[in-house]
Amino acid sequence: MSPTTWGWLVLAFPLAGTVAVALGWRALPGKLPGWIGTGAVFASFACAVGALLSLEGREGEEAKTVVSTAYEYANTLGVDANLTILVDPLSVFMILVVSGVSALIHLYSVIYMWEDRGYARFFAYLNFFVFSMLLLVLAGNFFFLIVGWAFVGAASYFLISFWYRRRTATRAGIKAFVMNVIGDVGLVLGTYFVFKHVGTLDFVAAFEKVPDEFAHNDGDLVAGCILLLVGAVAKSAQIPLHTWLPDAMEGPTPVSALIHAATMVTAGVYLIARMHPLFEQAPAAADVGAILGCATLFVAATIALTQTDLKRVIAYSTMSQIGYMIMGVSAGAYAAGLFHLMTHAFFKALLFMAAGSVIAAMAGIQSLDRMGGFRRSMPFTFGCFVVGGLALAGVPPFSGFFSKDEILLLVGDRGGWHWILYAVGYVSAFLTAVYTFRMIFRAFLGDSVPEARELEGGHLHHAETPVNPMTGEEEDTEVGFPGPGHFIAEREWPMKTAMAILAVGATVLGVLQIPHVTHVIDSFLEPTFAGSEFAHHEPSDGLIAFGLVLGTVLALAGIALAWFLWVRRPELPARIRSGLRPLYELSFNKWWFDELYDRTVVRPSRAVGGFFRERFERWVIDGALVGGPTGAVRGGSAFVRAIQDGYLRVYAGLLVLGVVGVALYFLIVSA
Amino acid sequence: MTPEAPHIDWAGLSPIVALTAGGIVVLAAGLFRGAWLRRYGVPLLTLLTLGATAGLSIWQWGEDKAIVSRALAVDDLAMFLNLLFCAGAIAAVVLALRDSSPEESGHGEWHALLISSVLGMTVLASAQNLVVVFLGFELLSIPLYVMCATNLRRSKSLESGLKYLIVGSVGSATLLYGLAMIYGATGATGFEQIATALSSQAGLIDDPLTLTGIGLIVVGFCFKVSAAPFHQWTPDVYEGAPTPVTAFMAVATKAAAFGAFVRLFDVALIDAATNWSPLLAAVAVASIVVGNVGALTQTSLKRLLAWSSIAQAGYMLAAVVVADREGVEALAFYLAVYLVMNLAAFAVIVARERETPFGDDIRSLAGLGASRPALAWPMTLAMLSLAGIPATAGFIGKFTLIGATVDGGYTWLGVAIVVGSMLSLYYYLRVVAAMWLSDVPVPAAREPVPAIAGGSPELDAAADPEDGAGQDAGPDRPVSQAEATAVAVLFGAATLFFGILPSPLFDLARDAGSALGLL
Repeated sequence: MSPTTWGWLVLAFPLAGTVAVALGWRALPGKLPGWIGTGAVFASFACAVGALLSLEGREGEEAKTVVSTAYEYANTLGVDANLTILVDPLSVFMILVVSGVSALIHLYSVIYMWEDRGYARFFAYLNFFVFSMLLLVLAGNFFFLIVGWAFVGAASYFLISFWYRRRTATRAGIKAFVMNVIGDVGLVLGTYFVFKHVGTLDFVAAFEKVPDEFAHNDGDLVAGCILLLVGAVAKSAQIPLHTWLPDAMEGPTPVSALIHAATMVTAGVYLIARMHPLFEQAPAAADVGAILGCATLFVAATIALTQTDLKRVIAYSTMSQIGYMIMGVSAGAYAAGLFHLMTHAFFKALLFMAAGSVIAAMAGIQSLDRMGGFRRSMPFTFGCFVVGGLALAGVPPFSGFFSKDEILLLVGDRGGWHWILYAVGYVSAFLTAVYTFRMIFRAFLGDSVPEARELEGGHLHHAETPVNPMTGEEEDTEVGFPGPGHFIAEREWPMKTAMAILAVGATVLGVLQIPHVTHVIDSFLEPTFAGSEFAHHEPSDGLIAFGLVLGTVLALAGIALAWFLWVRRPELPARIRSGLRPLYELSFNKWWFDELYDRTVVRPSRAVGGFFRERFERWVIDGALVGGPTGAVRGGSAFVRAIQDGYLRVYAGLLVLGVVGVALYFLIVSA
Repeated sequence: MTPEAPHIDWAGLSPIVALTAGGIVVLAAGLFRGAWLRRYGVPLLTLLTLGATAGLSIWQWGEDKAIVSRALAVDDLAMFLNLLFCAGAIAAVVLALRDSSPEESGHGEWHALLISSVLGMTVLASAQNLVVVFLGFELLSIPLYVMCATNLRRSKSLESGLKYLIVGSVGSATLLYGLAMIYGATGATGFEQIATALSSQAGLIDDPLTLTGIGLIVVGFCFKVSAAPFHQWTPDVYEGAPTPVTAFMAVATKAAAFGAFVRLFDVALIDAATNWSPLLAAVAVASIVVGNVGALTQTSLKRLLAWSSIAQAGYMLAAVVVADREGVEALAFYLAVYLVMNLAAFAVIVARERETPFGDDIRSLAGLGASRPALAWPMTLAMLSLAGIPATAGFIGKFTLIGATVDGGYTWLGVAIVVGSMLSLYYYLRVVAAMWLSDVPVPAAREPVPAIAGGSPELDAAADPEDGAGQDAGPDRPVSQAEATAVAVLFGAATLFFGILPSPLFDLARDAGSALGLL
């Protein structure tokens, strides 16, 4: 089969799964909705592998970009919006990562969500998300890119607000949606700027025309790329549109693992990589992206140091890691950025799954302050968490080490002010090691908390009354709230299987791309980035060696510091906190981004909204705009009924009047 | 030299022949004594006649010829309209199976009148001669005057028949004057000759005689299609006539009159279009406004549909105004859609009139969504379709109408259609809301009215309760409505089907639209 046939199948399975589960939820007994959803995504992954093999079987660079149009949706006024997919190494790479990680997370969720009253709804949403994400990465033109982009935003909203009776969850969903819509607007406007010049929405045709249509750093192109960047920044939770991601942790933990770590938030990285012919023609915009990515990776790392909510620490680390990727692809290190995207998908999904297991053992509590000593009672979860942590911190030979270092290597090699980005990247790598192991040490080492002791005794803790971990409000376990049951990886084979596969991947995937040894990712993606000016760039051996050593040292030093602070001398952090209060406040309050937006955007918008609701709506809309026409219609209706009085003489009279009117009109015309 | 007998094209004439023969047979069959024969045999024969006519029209599909000294056209437009007439008449026969009006007036007579009315429509739709236009016009109208009054013991029915007769005569007279004046101005009665005369003789299109003639013809046709300001008979007649007759009248008369309208104006009088199109456009807008505004506060469903039909006539007039092939296509398509959605609605009204004591009042639909989904869904679809909601045939129809007006250079007429549709949502959705959002009302205890002498309970049950004769009717009364339900479901499903897959109907409408040879 041709690569595009596989591509269509990749899309078809999750869509079928969504429809089957969404329509058949009443009829599907037990865990069947979960297994249908899981099976659909596994089938999708199998087709993605099919696409990979089929694409590899083709010779030559041209042959590796295959386009297939199913349906000409609209082809008018010069707009060519067709249902087209583009299968090339980049999109195949993305569908492999997306469907592969999604399949494992589905498998995990089959058990993890089992006692939730919204079980089937969860899988319908989850499959819809996978479909949307695959549509996004397979889209062959801007039109379906935007469709997939918006679908993904919608799916994210559904899943963040999955427990819709929790006020915190619905608010977080709204926040994420609004932020994402800002990105959607940016993407659409950016598309417009590009379309205005190249006159087509098709990727392949548009990119071919870019060098002819645009001068270097052409004003329109820079504006368009900056707007595309707005889309990327919003979706990938980069500064300044990042505040929704930590709040998105209100969703169920598998959602955090799938959407807000492994796949959706990397869409921005994909977008920049896909649009690289545009960005290379507009380096000014690309530089903005690199700087934003660098700022995010540092800021997020500092925030993660002091947060106490387990999932939020991981969320900030996600922001930070995506910062690396955005910085990489914006600076021309495409393959390296996508390599990190892949390794990150593995180890971050793993970390979230392990966190989900711990949270289940705590019966829903997420605060690190309440955790401790789970090492003995949850050895498997602990092992997975450590593997994920080592990969995240960048300790050799775990996967994150190679991918992160390659990004920094290539960024630094650009020279000039890129050395600043290089330095910030390594400082943040050190911080990453510190906060990652702070989390591990606090949750798993130290004295066992009551929940951990209960588990050591062979019994899983259950809360007397379930509460919202954010606000302490009491809840029930009906639909719209988390279900009564909790599941830990130690006891459930599907969760264990999913985590084990991810742990293996997080450990060994680095071997795909070891400097001077292997270059699987580079050569696979080569056809997509062949035209890039950074394609054949070889950093010097000295720089490579320096980077590898520096990365190793910083990671180990960070872990050592974390061990010293939170295991050896646990009283020290409090003293540091009081000694460096301004810095601590800055970090703990997340650099006051939320407060800033609240003051400058949210409250003024609310005031304006209030004015329009209370005054404008009542007087202008209801009064003048609605009242006027309805009054006229009412009056007309009364008049029409008044002359419809039932008397034949009136009817005949009016008929004659009409005749006279018509005759008069014609006599005037003829005169 | 032997006189040569004129060639008669029997194939082209066959629908007319079938109807004529069928009408005579049905009338004769009604004279037989057997109650079974009268009650079931006559409708069956009528259905056979109509079915045969439809079949012959399909057989003649694709022909393009003029027969009977070029007085009648046999083309796709005429055949398309024939199918619509037959569909409307068949639905009327089925809906009338249990109705009191054939019973009271005689089955043979009632059905023979129906067939002659269809015959008149067939003649009118293919007429291309002024004399034949008038012939068809009267042949369709006179049976309808009588049929409106066939609920002999219901004063409203008699009133509606009388009103229709008198006002209709004024309309016919106006039309006749107009036709005569056109003949006087051009010296011809055939459409082609009139067109030739108008295009060849300088100044003829601005001649007062021609223009007065056109004006009077406009009035006559507008009367028949119930366009404002010549609409006033419509609500009263629709309300008073037996509901199956109303259903037939609403869909088939409109199709026939519009068929003649386009043939006369877009073929014979096309050269005077600059003069008549502003007038027709004004009439269209007036109809849209008056129809929609008038419907807003109606509580009688039949009156509501009457006002709605005035507005719909306005929409369709817009297609006549643009006077091009796209307009005729849109008109043909819309006429079919209009038939489908109205028949669905009238079938539900017929069923509910017999089931509830509320007659055709909107209260008769209350709670229908829960109690009778098989009726509620067709009615819902019909209302949404009339309002032009997507995924219904009405949306596609309105879309093509608006497209035709915009392409024809009458964008503002398209805007008027849209504004009218917005207004119309108010009363269409009221009907939908009554079905789905309100509970079944408890009928108030009514004064027992002594049965009219000679009346039978069966007849009284079906009569209009406002006449005080239907005291037995009530929700408890087990009345089987299988045939009305079937009609409702069939046309409701068609409304949905053509809303999703309009192309089969659209292809037919395209053939019909190209029959006139317009650009």
